[in-house]
Amino acid sequence: MRRASLSVLSSALMLFAAAAAHAQQTGTINGVVTEASSGRTVAGARVGVAGTQLGAATGAEGRFTIANVPVGSHTLQLRMIGYTALERAVTVGNGQVATVNFQLSTRAVVLDEVVAVGYGTQRRGSLTGAVDQVGSQALENRPMANLTQGLQGLIPNVNIRLLDGRPTQAPRINIRGTTSIGQGGNALILIDGVEGDPSMVNPNDVESISVLKDAAAAAVYGARGAFGVLLITTKKPARDGFAITYESKYGRRTPTVPAGYVTDGYTYAKMFNESFFNFEGTNPQNVNKTQAFSQQYLAEFAKRSTDPSLPTVVVGPDGQYVYYASTDWYGLLYKEQTPTTEQSLSVSRSTDKASFLISGRYLDQPGLIRYNSDDYRMLNLRATGTLQLYPWLQMNNNLTVSNRKYFNPLNVGEGGGIWRNIADEGHPSEPMLNPDGTLTWSGAYTVGDYYYGKNGSRLSRNQVRNTTGLTATLFNSKFKLNGDFSFQNTADNERRRRVEIPYSRTPGVIEYLGTATNDLRNLNDKGVYLASNLYGDYSSLFSEKHYVNVVLGTNYEQSTFDRLDVTRNGLIFPDAENINLALGQSITTGGNYEKWAILGGFYRLNYNYDERYLLEFDGRYDGSSKFPSSQRYAFFPSVSFGWRPSREQFWKVSERLISDLKFRGSYGSMGNGNINAYTFNELFNINKSGRILNGIQPQFTGAPAVLPDGLTWETVTTRNAGMDLEMLAGKLQFTGDVYSRRTTNMYTIGSTLPATFGATSPRGNYADMKTNGWEAGLNWQDRFNVASRPFNYSVRLSLSDYSAEILKYNNPDRFLNDFYAGQKVGEIWGYITEGFFSSADEIAKHADQSLFRSHSSGKIQVGDIMLKDVNGDGKVNPGKNTADDPGDRVVIGNTTPRYTYGISLGGNYGSVFVSSFFQGVRKQDWYPSPESNAFWGQYNRPYGLVPNWQLKPGMIWSPENPNSFLPRYASRLSNNAAGILRAPQSKYVMNAAYLRLKNLQLGYNLPARFASRIGANATRLFVTGENLWTWSPLYKYADNIDVENATAPSDQFANPNGNSGDGYNYPMLRSFNIGATVTF
Amino acid sequence: MTRRHIPLCLLLAGALAAGCDSLEQNPVATSTKDAVFGSENGLSLYTTSFYNWMPDANNLTQSESMTDYAARRDVPQFIRPGVFNPRVNDITASGQYEVVALGGDVNWRWNTLRSINYFLVNNTDPDVPEKIRNNYSGIARFFRAWFYFEKVKRYGDVPWMDKPLSVTDSALYGGRDSRTVVMDHVLEDLDYAIANISATNENSRTLITKDIALALKSRVALFEGTFRKYHPEFGFQSTADKWLNESANAAKILIDSKRYSLYTGSGPTDSYRQVFVRDAPVAQEVLLTNTQSTALAVRHMANWIFTSATTGVRFSFIRPFIHTYLNIDGTPFTNLAGYQTLTFQDETKNRDRRLSQTIRTPGYKRIQAGTQIAGPPAFTYTYTGYHPIKWSVDDVAMDGGSLNTNAVHLFRYAEVLLNYAEAKAELGQLTAADWALTVGALRARAGITGGLTTLPTVADPYLTSVYFPGISNPVILEVRRERGIELAMEGLRFYDIVRWARGPLMEMEWRGIYVPQANTNLDLDENGTPDVNFYTVNPATRLSGVTYISVTGTDFKLSNGTSGEIVWRNDIPRKWDQKNYLYPIPEGDLLTNPALKQNPGW
Repeated sequence: MRRASLSVLSSALMLFAAAAAHAQQTGTINGVVTEASSGRTVAGARVGVAGTQLGAATGAEGRFTIANVPVGSHTLQLRMIGYTALERAVTVGNGQVATVNFQLSTRAVVLDEVVAVGYGTQRRGSLTGAVDQVGSQALENRPMANLTQGLQGLIPNVNIRLLDGRPTQAPRINIRGTTSIGQGGNALILIDGVEGDPSMVNPNDVESISVLKDAAAAAVYGARGAFGVLLITTKKPARDGFAITYESKYGRRTPTVPAGYVTDGYTYAKMFNESFFNFEGTNPQNVNKTQAFSQQYLAEFAKRSTDPSLPTVVVGPDGQYVYYASTDWYGLLYKEQTPTTEQSLSVSRSTDKASFLISGRYLDQPGLIRYNSDDYRMLNLRATGTLQLYPWLQMNNNLTVSNRKYFNPLNVGEGGGIWRNIADEGHPSEPMLNPDGTLTWSGAYTVGDYYYGKNGSRLSRNQVRNTTGLTATLFNSKFKLNGDFSFQNTADNERRRRVEIPYSRTPGVIEYLGTATNDLRNLNDKGVYLASNLYGDYSSLFSEKHYVNVVLGTNYEQSTFDRLDVTRNGLIFPDAENINLALGQSITTGGNYEKWAILGGFYRLNYNYDERYLLEFDGRYDGSSKFPSSQRYAFFPSVSFGWRPSREQFWKVSERLISDLKFRGSYGSMGNGNINAYTFNELFNINKSGRILNGIQPQFTGAPAVLPDGLTWETVTTRNAGMDLEMLAGKLQFTGDVYSRRTTNMYTIGSTLPATFGATSPRGNYADMKTNGWEAGLNWQDRFNVASRPFNYSVRLSLSDYSAEILKYNNPDRFLNDFYAGQKVGEIWGYITEGFFSSADEIAKHADQSLFRSHSSGKIQVGDIMLKDVNGDGKVNPGKNTADDPGDRVVIGNTTPRYTYGISLGGNYGSVFVSSFFQGVRKQDWYPSPESNAFWGQYNRPYGLVPNWQLKPGMIWSPENPNSFLPRYASRLSNNAAGILRAPQSKYVMNAAYLRLKNLQLGYNLPARFASRIGANATRLFVTGENLWTWSPLYKYADNIDVENATAPSDQFANPNGNSGDGYNYPMLRSFNIGATVTF
Repeated sequence: MTRRHIPLCLLLAGALAAGCDSLEQNPVATSTKDAVFGSENGLSLYTTSFYNWMPDANNLTQSESMTDYAARRDVPQFIRPGVFNPRVNDITASGQYEVVALGGDVNWRWNTLRSINYFLVNNTDPDVPEKIRNNYSGIARFFRAWFYFEKVKRYGDVPWMDKPLSVTDSALYGGRDSRTVVMDHVLEDLDYAIANISATNENSRTLITKDIALALKSRVALFEGTFRKYHPEFGFQSTADKWLNESANAAKILIDSKRYSLYTGSGPTDSYRQVFVRDAPVAQEVLLTNTQSTALAVRHMANWIFTSATTGVRFSFIRPFIHTYLNIDGTPFTNLAGYQTLTFQDETKNRDRRLSQTIRTPGYKRIQAGTQIAGPPAFTYTYTGYHPIKWSVDDVAMDGGSLNTNAVHLFRYAEVLLNYAEAKAELGQLTAADWALTVGALRARAGITGGLTTLPTVADPYLTSVYFPGISNPVILEVRRERGIELAMEGLRFYDIVRWARGPLMEMEWRGIYVPQANTNLDLDENGTPDVNFYTVNPATRLSGVTYISVTGTDFKLSNGTSGEIVWRNDIPRKWDQKNYLYPIPEGDLLTNPALKQNPGW
């Protein structure tokens, strides 16, 4: 029934289109463009007829002519960099010439900027929703492995957290903070109106990025837009003429922070011994698995460390190697630096009948890893064009093909990431290679696996996308009808090989590591996505003051995902690459299939009176296959309004002081459709057993999860209030928004049921949360003269903040190991560190803290941590572990990044330009994870590496240094279940605020006379750097962890769902690049 | 193309949007309920999931982390006064991992049961022949019996449920059923399984058969019978004999079937150990096992556990238990005058051959790259010197990783024999023929020459004074001795001492080998090179290959200071209270459902 009504709607739109066909009559438009302030004519300004491909550029005298313009009323648009964009209405008669002259005013950033919104564009001046936009200049010349990485910090409250420095790193994009603790949800990303993956986009193709932040702006996208929409608009062919642009970049990359660990073998061994003994109370007999240890060995090592003439490897009485090495494992792991190169080309040609743009990009980034290098390569090709079939009908097509390849080396010894493996087995006291060239045991567990060079995952992604669309411009350009159809095929492939690593503990005897994993894996994912839109757009101005715009349309999308995953062991030789050469009996096959579809009808109604009072209604009637039939359809409306007092009669403020002021407000309620398909079905998943039953590992299934009754959508209600201000003749612009977003009926765990229920309590719509926040953007652009030539400069500041609070949750006792009503999301509960014990007397008198160990026996010594007995009950304990009885714990921090900001500074003087972009977080707390070797060093595991910073004076406690940062040197304090450092406590809550110079560039536009010698119109040379400088309070201590890595989950490749935050990460990278752009 | 066609194109796009009937999507990568319950394959697919809850090889080889006869790195929290309490609700968490449950959820968790009951309630599809349905229901009920057995052992009274409960079911908030009610249901389940599982035995020794159900029944009923007998405080003593009879009868059916026998093919010095170190289970003796395979990349880590200073708890036998191994002639070792001060080298000679097949003794060799190397007890890994080898293999290449491929057993014929012997002994019905068939046969395999065919007549004073003060029946005493030795490290000991009401054994000091003199190099394996030196004075020079251990600390010392038995971890108090015979209901669960009521003493 509902579908039927949508199809009636579509048919009506069709008929409307058909009725509009009429005979073609044309006229001509011409005119002159001059600069308002000087009266000089302006060459090179582009004038176009809105909604068509018709257009022309002004010649040397500022004159333009556009022929073959259909009869009727048109809007002429003028764009010129550095000037206000202008629009003029014009009526063309058959065979007549209409003249329109433009006077340009120099205004750097303008309210008349056209902003992409859902299914259309709006002028910034008439926006009522919270919409932000950045142009391509924010991405220019910046070297980036993928587009997502480049978006970080650009737009206020568009939150992107890079989890590591891998080129494939492309996190989900969040808009305005915590979305839902139930289904979760992220921003909807649309590329030219079709859902897509920004990390596959060629950054050079991006024309603008628009963010729809509130319900009003996003409502036309219905359930998927509940948490904001990011619209990436790609470049269109130049409006006229012919252009070829070639850009070339070369660079080199290094980690932002040095690994920073002790590499001297004896120092390491001595500290290992000390930390081990200080906790265990006994002497160590092994350094983890790979090295025998004794006091004699240590004494011998001491002797050898002062006598370099002695060999670092000997063979002991048992015939096994004994090592006295000093190995810099990170030096072996990373190259000193690694190059990067990027070549891009775009060719564009337009006539009044057709236009095209073809662009391509080749990015090659050899990996940072020294052996078995993690090489990355990306190819992008795009072809887009338009055909003006009739003066009123345009066809356009946009085809993109992209291919990404990445190789990720693996450690098979114990699996997991290389960083954790080095912390476990990469002891500086052991070398990677034996004298005979074989790997040591320690080496085989760590970098030696890479040195052997056979283990890794070869990942590739191929994506082909095409959109074909038709636009009919009818009724004197007052009505436009758009139809488009898109498909996107994505093929992901992983080829993984894991073979045993040979190593030697005894000369001449080879043993193998990783014997559990002698296998090949082929993983193929195929995604097919289809989308079609049909929408009409009618706009008209009545009585010069009443402007009406109606957008009405339908949208259908479907996505299928199909997986085939095969693993087989038993390679006949370690270099085998094809699964035909895997002959073992351990064969694991897996499949998966998912399909979803959405269908919706949407509208946007705009009305404004004299651009003074603005009103907009948006909404969508949405259907999703992810919901059961009783809940499948829902209606999501929103309303927004604006008022521009600066256009009121009573407004007497000088236009030079305040040229525009607008207040905005919006309210809307949307469903959250971010939910996995089939959530509402009883699923009998099939898996392979880990056991051998009758000689094989059979498949099995089991009881399905218990399904809840009466599930419904999560509801996201957003209130937004904003203000736009333009002052000082456009030099200063300010936009600010405050918002409140309530996510209600979140799909979360049910009430705690007695364990005898025997299953997870069925999830349901049980929780509420609110996220409050604000964001502000400030632009300042001006110029002054230096030596009678203008120096243009601009400053753009963006600042945003949010915090979320749980309003309702199924945790009536408010236990602290789960969410609870009243909780500020991200809060860290912990103890108060009073200091270190200074005497036995103090230990005896102190409250009982026996729950926490500083020694395996539980005894407390001088130099151990003293925790405060906050509630004075004589015991330090977690109480009932509830918010109401947290024992001696208080909230000692919050992990939510607060006050995130971006600062862009730019300037040019003559042919030289310079720009910089800073990004930062003002406040964010981090409590290092129990297993963080980078932070805790040997306070974690005794055999871990020793961070250099811990050896700085004043860091480690000693009787002479009682006011140190770290307590008495002892292992296991952080990772032992009862270890005292494992309990979050005030002293070790790290301030992970930072300010980072993300990008700095300096460029030079070659004088035209040089450029013309090579036949070019323009040539630009530039040098740019990324992540050149960082400030963080964290670096007072852990200067070996990049501050962005610290708060991120550990190695995402090995632990895709990890959330530890321990610094075991692919390093963030700093890069220096030089480049040139030539335009013909 | 004429202009009239243009709207047609647009219409096409619209038609695609409006005409697609795609909002009804059903999963295709998972099975449907009908498919699972409508065919034998589906039933098999589902019941295969039950096997995942059986303890695996790693669970089993480490299952005796908490027993009376072993020392370990630290004192189990369960017996540390004031440390273990109902708030410790996850007993598998680090530091609280005391005993591995056989049969699934260790804690007060009930997911296994729900899955079994879901199966039983839905296994009704008439398209599947009844006999086949009953076979799979038999397997499900076997696992339900096992599940409840574990729950009753741990918590005593527990709620009995035979269907998956709905969210609103009032039974969720009901109280516990008496163990008598629950155990009667367990017996029903086992009898159903025995009657309906179609396979009697199968060659891989990895699937549940009628015989496994019989073996489990003998184990369960022996536990329940002896528990009721020796725990008069619960008031079920009068029903003990019924259970002992059930145990004996089930065991007898298996014995009489003659499908199983003890493996003796490698002679007295090696047969016992071969049962535990072979990849292919010794089918004549092993009923149910976890097989391993390099080809399938399924392996366990026993060698790593028993040769690591940091991985695992460093399980080491204590000396009082080693004393229970008989002399080779069948006489008690503790009858020798001065047995307390015999050195390790001397006390390990001329004993029950299982001693040298359970721990490292002089003559034990390891294998490195195909050649034999010395294998003395390594004080790097053992605290007492009684270094276990029961589950680990000799090849050092298997150390330091999950590399073991030897099968690790869940049910073994020797246990069935001992269940039979004990049940009969407790009933006072064990005959000399029964003795010869059971304990006698086990001792004969171990090379013991005396007392194999006649019932023991003397109560061993060592056993009555050190282990079982309340027991005067020499037959019961000897069966218990035999059970301790034969089934050491197989995951049964903790609940043996629970059912015998001998929890205080957990308080025994952790004593190791007798050291005649500190500051002296000892050659434990008598191969001519010293292995260990216990010192009170830091030696000026240290020999390579010798482990030097200070005995001046508070945790590791010698009983007489500079000589005597090793004493480990005597600094941490241990206490077994009456309440320890049952675990506490976790506090959180009690709060959620107060009707459960706490076990006494907690």
